[in-house]
Amino acid sequence: MRRAPTWPRHAIMVVVSFLMLVPFYWVLKTSLTGENIYAYPPHIIPVDPHLFHYVDVWYLIPFPRYLLNSVIVTTMAICGNLLFNTAAGYALTKQFPGRRWVVLLFLSCMLIPFQATIIPAYLITSWLGVLNSYLGIALPLLSTIICIFIFKASFEAVPRSLIDAARVDGLSEWRIIVRIMLPLSKSAIATNVILTFIWSWNAFLWPLIVIRTSEMQTLPLGLARFLSVMEDTTGALFAFVVMVLVPGLTIFLMAQKEFIRGLTSGATKG
Amino acid sequence: MSWRRILTHRFFLVPLVVALLVAGWNVYIAFNDGGLIAGEVRDRAGTPVPGATVVFFERNFIYYQEKQRTTTDAHGAYRFDGMQVHVGQLEARTADGRHSERRQLRLWFRAQNAEMAPLVVDAPHG
Repeated sequence: MRRAPTWPRHAIMVVVSFLMLVPFYWVLKTSLTGENIYAYPPHIIPVDPHLFHYVDVWYLIPFPRYLLNSVIVTTMAICGNLLFNTAAGYALTKQFPGRRWVVLLFLSCMLIPFQATIIPAYLITSWLGVLNSYLGIALPLLSTIICIFIFKASFEAVPRSLIDAARVDGLSEWRIIVRIMLPLSKSAIATNVILTFIWSWNAFLWPLIVIRTSEMQTLPLGLARFLSVMEDTTGALFAFVVMVLVPGLTIFLMAQKEFIRGLTSGATKG
Repeated sequence: MSWRRILTHRFFLVPLVVALLVAGWNVYIAFNDGGLIAGEVRDRAGTPVPGATVVFFERNFIYYQEKQRTTTDAHGAYRFDGMQVHVGQLEARTADGRHSERRQLRLWFRAQNAEMAPLVVDAPHG
């Protein structure tokens, strides 16, 4: 049987990839040239590119401080996510009364947008006394339902006999998670890390509400502030965008294999 | 997982390379952040102009404003010390009303030592 040629599929993929990458290229090009985005005709190739817009961003606003804040908050969110989602995901693989109701509750909670719960979330954060703190910013992302289900799906793929054998050998539940489950769930961990990283890194609304001082602002808030205080900033603005994007892109490129594997395993075994 | 695998894993190597680059860059900065900006003022014929005033304009958020000024020595040389800036403009003015074009100064980091190309005075001071 004659196989269909692959070139049409490849051609379509090349065109789609090109369309997806053009905005990234344009942002990068503008960050290097400072060319007005409304300039006509636009230059496809950068004219007189330089990196000084990046230097401007570094010094004209407290970029290192924003970066540090974002890194701290994101690290806290990732650590909290791994801890709480692992525990919750493992618990949901057990049989206990009301388990179905808990799963149903989780699924129904996923239907409620965060904006609808933001006032109670604020009140709880205020009651805990962690407004305008790193913990307060990271709090809503310390556990996410999607990631709980990713862990649940991954844990359910581990053979029951392996867990029973570990239990017979005297391992506690926590040690079973740490020694047996997590080493077999690297894809789920990578997926968790990347998703949490992206959500936390790009979070705007919640930090905007809980942060009260400029010293605690994260990068997305810094970007908004940058736009409000600077003029003639085309190049610096796009340089800022690139500097915000690069860490996320790097993390994704490093872990894309595990990320995709984690998502697909969650899709088929959940 | 063995140590060799951990050390050669991309999750270890990429942050390590980034950390090394940052550390190297900071070491370079530490040895070159005296804030020294130096250069010469000449006329169109290339002759050094002694006694000329060189003005440094610092950029704030919207426009450039004068920050500091100095005078050239007998060889037409000038220098600013301890300049905690990374961007600015330089202009030379002479007592007889001539002045240079404003020269844009872009540095790779704040207080970088910089040797400027000569400022050329030729037009009457407007």
